Amino acid sequence: MKKVGVYICECGPNIADNVDIERILASVSSMEESEGIEIVAKPYKLLCSGEGQEYLKEEIETNQLTHLVIGACSPRDHNSTFINVCKQTRLNPYLYKLINIREHCAWIVHDKEKATDKAIQYIRGGIRRVLYQSELHEKKLDINPDVLVIGGGIAGIEAALCLAGPERRVFLVEKSDKLGGKAAEWGSLLPRQAGGVKAIQDKIGQTEANTGIQVITKTRVNNIIGFLGNFEAELCQVDDPETTTDLTVGAIVVATGFRLNEVSSLPEFKSADSDEVYTTLDVERMLKEKGQVALQTGEKPKSVALIFCAGREKVGYCSQICCSTTIKIARQIKEQNPETAVKCFIRDLCLPHKDDQAFYQQARDLGVEFVRVQTVKSDGVGVHYTCMDQSNGTEKFDMVILAPAMEPAEGTTELSEILGIPLHETGFYEEAHQTINPVATATDGIFVAGTARGPGGVTATLNQAQAVAGKIMVQLIPGEQIVPEVKVSEILEAFCMGCKTCLDVCHYGAIVFDEDKGISVVKEAVCRGCGNCVGSCPSGAIQLKHFTKPQLYQEVIEALR
Amino acid sequence: MSKSSKPGIKIPVKNGIEQTVRTLLNKALGHSIDALLMPVKVPSKDSYAWILMQDSDVVNDASPMAAGMPVQGAKALKSLTRKGGGSLRVAALMRPCEVRAAIELVKLNQINLENVVLISYDCPGALPLSELSDNFEAAEKKFKVLLSSRCFDSPDVKPVCQFCTGFSMGAADIHIGLADGDTGHLLLISGSPKGKAFLSAAGLNVDEDLSAYKKQVDLILKKKTQKTKEIFQAVQPMVEGLENLAETFSNCIGCHNCQSACPICYCRQCYFDSKESKLEPAYYMEKAEKRGGVSFPHDRVLFHVGRMSHMSLSCVSCGQCTDACPVSIPVAKVFSYVASQTQQAFEYSAGKSVSEAIPLKEFKEDELQKIHEIVKSAESQESPHE
Amino acid sequence: MSDGSQVLIIGAGIAGMEASLMLSRTGRKVYLIEKLPLIGGKVIKNEESFPNLECSTCMVAPIQQAVLQDPNIETLTLTTVEKIEGEAGHFTVSVLKKARYVKMADCIGCGMCYDPCPVSLDNEWEENLGKRKAIYVPTAGSLPNVPSIDSLQCLKLSGQKECSACVEACMFGAIDLTEKDKKLDIEVGTIIIATGSDLYDVAQLSRLGYGKYPGVYTSMEFERLFASNGPTSGELTMRDSEHQPKSVAIVHCVGREELGYCSGVCCLYSFKHAHFLKHKLGDVAVYNLYTDICVPDKTHQKFVESIREETQLVFYTEPTELSVDKKDGMLCVNYLDASGGKKSINVEMVILAPAMVPGKDTKKLAKIAGIGLDDKGFLAVDGDGLGTVETGKKGIFIAGCAVGPGDIQNSVIQAESAVSKVMSTFLSEVS
Repeated sequence: MKKVGVYICECGPNIADNVDIERILASVSSMEESEGIEIVAKPYKLLCSGEGQEYLKEEIETNQLTHLVIGACSPRDHNSTFINVCKQTRLNPYLYKLINIREHCAWIVHDKEKATDKAIQYIRGGIRRVLYQSELHEKKLDINPDVLVIGGGIAGIEAALCLAGPERRVFLVEKSDKLGGKAAEWGSLLPRQAGGVKAIQDKIGQTEANTGIQVITKTRVNNIIGFLGNFEAELCQVDDPETTTDLTVGAIVVATGFRLNEVSSLPEFKSADSDEVYTTLDVERMLKEKGQVALQTGEKPKSVALIFCAGREKVGYCSQICCSTTIKIARQIKEQNPETAVKCFIRDLCLPHKDDQAFYQQARDLGVEFVRVQTVKSDGVGVHYTCMDQSNGTEKFDMVILAPAMEPAEGTTELSEILGIPLHETGFYEEAHQTINPVATATDGIFVAGTARGPGGVTATLNQAQAVAGKIMVQLIPGEQIVPEVKVSEILEAFCMGCKTCLDVCHYGAIVFDEDKGISVVKEAVCRGCGNCVGSCPSGAIQLKHFTKPQLYQEVIEALR
Repeated sequence: MSKSSKPGIKIPVKNGIEQTVRTLLNKALGHSIDALLMPVKVPSKDSYAWILMQDSDVVNDASPMAAGMPVQGAKALKSLTRKGGGSLRVAALMRPCEVRAAIELVKLNQINLENVVLISYDCPGALPLSELSDNFEAAEKKFKVLLSSRCFDSPDVKPVCQFCTGFSMGAADIHIGLADGDTGHLLLISGSPKGKAFLSAAGLNVDEDLSAYKKQVDLILKKKTQKTKEIFQAVQPMVEGLENLAETFSNCIGCHNCQSACPICYCRQCYFDSKESKLEPAYYMEKAEKRGGVSFPHDRVLFHVGRMSHMSLSCVSCGQCTDACPVSIPVAKVFSYVASQTQQAFEYSAGKSVSEAIPLKEFKEDELQKIHEIVKSAESQESPHE
Repeated sequence: MSDGSQVLIIGAGIAGMEASLMLSRTGRKVYLIEKLPLIGGKVIKNEESFPNLECSTCMVAPIQQAVLQDPNIETLTLTTVEKIEGEAGHFTVSVLKKARYVKMADCIGCGMCYDPCPVSLDNEWEENLGKRKAIYVPTAGSLPNVPSIDSLQCLKLSGQKECSACVEACMFGAIDLTEKDKKLDIEVGTIIIATGSDLYDVAQLSRLGYGKYPGVYTSMEFERLFASNGPTSGELTMRDSEHQPKSVAIVHCVGREELGYCSGVCCLYSFKHAHFLKHKLGDVAVYNLYTDICVPDKTHQKFVESIREETQLVFYTEPTELSVDKKDGMLCVNYLDASGGKKSINVEMVILAPAMVPGKDTKKLAKIAGIGLDDKGFLAVDGDGLGTVETGKKGIFIAGCAVGPGDIQNSVIQAESAVSKVMSTFLSEVS
């Protein structure tokens, strides 16, 4: 015989003054007959207090309650309090429900009669619902603390260095034959990053020497299955895709970096592939290799134009770092060749770092010219522009340097599909939450750091790599188990027609397709319990545990009687 | 339509359209295809069944363009390919609405078209199933006349067919064009690389200019679009508001035939047949008390509205539902109207292309703009739809 | 007794809260120190945050709740740090916990004590645009939902008069006027400083008329005007009147020249403000006066473009030449255009977007912690040019806007990075 304990909290004057608790108790008790259950219904002064919790525990044990309904404040305040109470008794916490009769009734309905009527509806609905609830048991899962880092640039290296330890191995996979990525190709960084070039080289050295990090070059990722704590990765060699290796890890870090937008294909930059037109990356390489900027002939240029925001309209976003790095290049050229005319064609300057405006000012003081333009085009080494005051200008230079937008690296789309994580509309990886969860992705256990996530500089990239390490360190503690959420979806095999609608609407990659059975299956450890799949299935083959259709339906039916 | 400017080929008609088609398909049988899927008259000679055939004798007995549609062709394709494409290369000859339904079912992972060549034809419409049951011979004769006279505005075909703007070429690999009025020939139009390959394997190279044909199709489409407007205007009051809906479905007996016949309804067990959708006696008693009475079968309107919300985005207006209804509810008209509204709201066209994702499975940030407009205009005038 | 694993986090804004929740997951004991009576920092002062215009309270409330209910996190509000001694693994932090005068365990947040209090004054959390009592919560929805008493304003506590109105109104006997400030010594292994930033005091630039003309607001004041739980219930009625403005000029880059850096977030929230105005008031002329539009993240440009039609973009040069005066009852914003010509716009309201500066206690705290400041007064990052959250002192890390201007995303990333450093420090210190 089901025995439901119903306890109404007076909450001081909050509830007691504004609803007729006695009437609620009477109405609740009348459900005994109609539902064929036993009901214990009592009021209490303050259930969330220490005494209140002890009282509840005693009531559960003494009355051998099979279900528990509490009428009190918002679940926001005390749901976890009462769940803890249940956990200390034999009552499964999923056979309990907290009904909010404070914020939803006592505090907003000013007529006591009406507030009581509403509270009665809610509580009766809750009692009905609780009768349809089932016991759910939390499981513990062993986890693998190791990490797969995809991309051996500065983001991947930093993440690997932060994570590798005696109890955690890191597999650092890189598709080229060496570590360092783009950052290692720069001969200099910004003045506020003085010492950074050496530091990057040091990090590469440390990574190679670290026995906790296995560096696997000329390799890429073929396939990933699994979930947080239990991923299986298949790697293959870039020039021999048939040779594969399997890895098991607990987390994956995507650090695949960026490439520059192909400015030569843009109509504003005709003949951009002609001799003396370079991108900023070309110049960085030139500076590293030769130590200075020179024309194809080997001579020093007498005039250099630097065009900012090249390709920005096409990509639709600011690449954040080009202003400061292009100013750096302009400065270097001017410092090395004071007689050379260095002219920067700028749009809106993006210098959000606290030290960068001063850096820009110093460049001006050195004699670098800055012309603010509304539009700018180039035809080989000829630059045509319109200023903010609508006047036009045309100038020819010995050398033109274009600062292109940053784009996601090649292979991003393919890798995102392999990983099953979404891309932002700009093509970079999408964060789990742009503001408060910026280095995680929609799939638990897969993180992203560096320019794979969006344009940024070396410091921002390192920050993100460290943040990813922090997140992994606290979620995957060697030797500890994780307890996945139990209020997850489940698909009833008998009703599934394999239409994959649920799979398509699941944003978290929590549903996979079983090719043999021709049905969709929920990966419980990944499921967030959002319920999108439940709503999308026309067969009604999917249920969300603890929020099943009978539970919700019955609650509403009873409340609307 | 194929992208090339001359994607068709003219074939002379010998012994009628159906015989011409049979001859062509028989030629291909055993060469570019292993089997055919076509309607064949059943032994009792009063209906058609879908037959998967490899024997040219059976082909010669087949009715490529059947007078009616007892079973939606997409259902046959579903039975055949649900568990995979198989290695048998099949050519399926279907009405455009059956092709549309097949396209939708591909997107719902119920049909696999890997080894299937879809062939459709300019469809005069299908005769109501009840007419076939009453007098099959007469119905068959009537339809053959429609076909041979290339008549696309007959008032005798099913209501949904009368306003069907999808009567001509859709997503099929090959389309048989009949609408240009040239009764001595038919057009074979390639709609995809698969179709083109099939035709060239049959020694037919597409090089016909289709502009005259397209013109004719457009003229017919214009008339059909006008018919659509008229019919939808008449249907609108049948569905607006719960009271009108209840009246429209008041004689429904809850047999769920419409759902069984619908090619899009692929669920093993319809939610409305499930245990979950049944309620306790106390609930019915209370409703009876409150409202004065409660009818059985219960939740009939809910069933139809629920079915609408589940499949209207994929509804291809094939009319099977009306054919199947034993109490003559104009289900197809009602559902077609609702489907036109919901599909319009998402700027989606059911059955048009495999690459166009079903709105239910996809999210666009700027979707449902149409709904805002519809609601806005509904608030300001009495006739919200075009 | 400290085994070196305990962590002290100074500042319960978004960075501090995020770091504390992460560290708690590992079983570490976390002391979260906050000088205000509520947690949440600056993020909760904005009704909606860019770029998605997501409700900030909805975004942050679950985090605040989780922090307050977490068994490993001991949140000490109304608390400031007085002294830090020791070294990584063995810090002793002396804190001053001011009396709240309300017992947190007994108070249920019913709010019956506010009405009876006879003292009413400007609410500093509401940028002095609204009023509060001596016993108060800074805003509706404050967490913890327990009032505190301003001892300088309370008649009884300040010794002005005998009064026990609140005590009598409380059904649970939760008010204790005898409570005293407490000094506590906390032993921890590592420290994270996440004390955030403030806005540049625009009163220092007299050319802008702030303080002189009531129609001139700071961006933070405007956030509170717009907030539905703010002093105007989101109606955007102006100071000293019930009037909603018909024309507004939003001035970007205030203080940029004087301080010498771009704060990277003001353009975005200024466009957000333009959107708020248009959305709320409809019939209002809005101008955004800017020198550079700084929209660094991949989502920002699209956000700005989406509201471009709602405002008039006005490019101005020579920021130090921009001034605001009054003419014919309207505020007149005078600026120089692209060719240096003098222009002006007449509006009813001016919103100034000031630079982000270090919080006013940053200097004192840096001294206490023995860490350096940079030339702008922000906490200095240490480490061969590529430092992110480390200071010159081992075991002490910094995160968020206390390090430099940045948006919420940046603060969260730095907090997560600081956590990774704490975890690594622990590994090497205690073994």
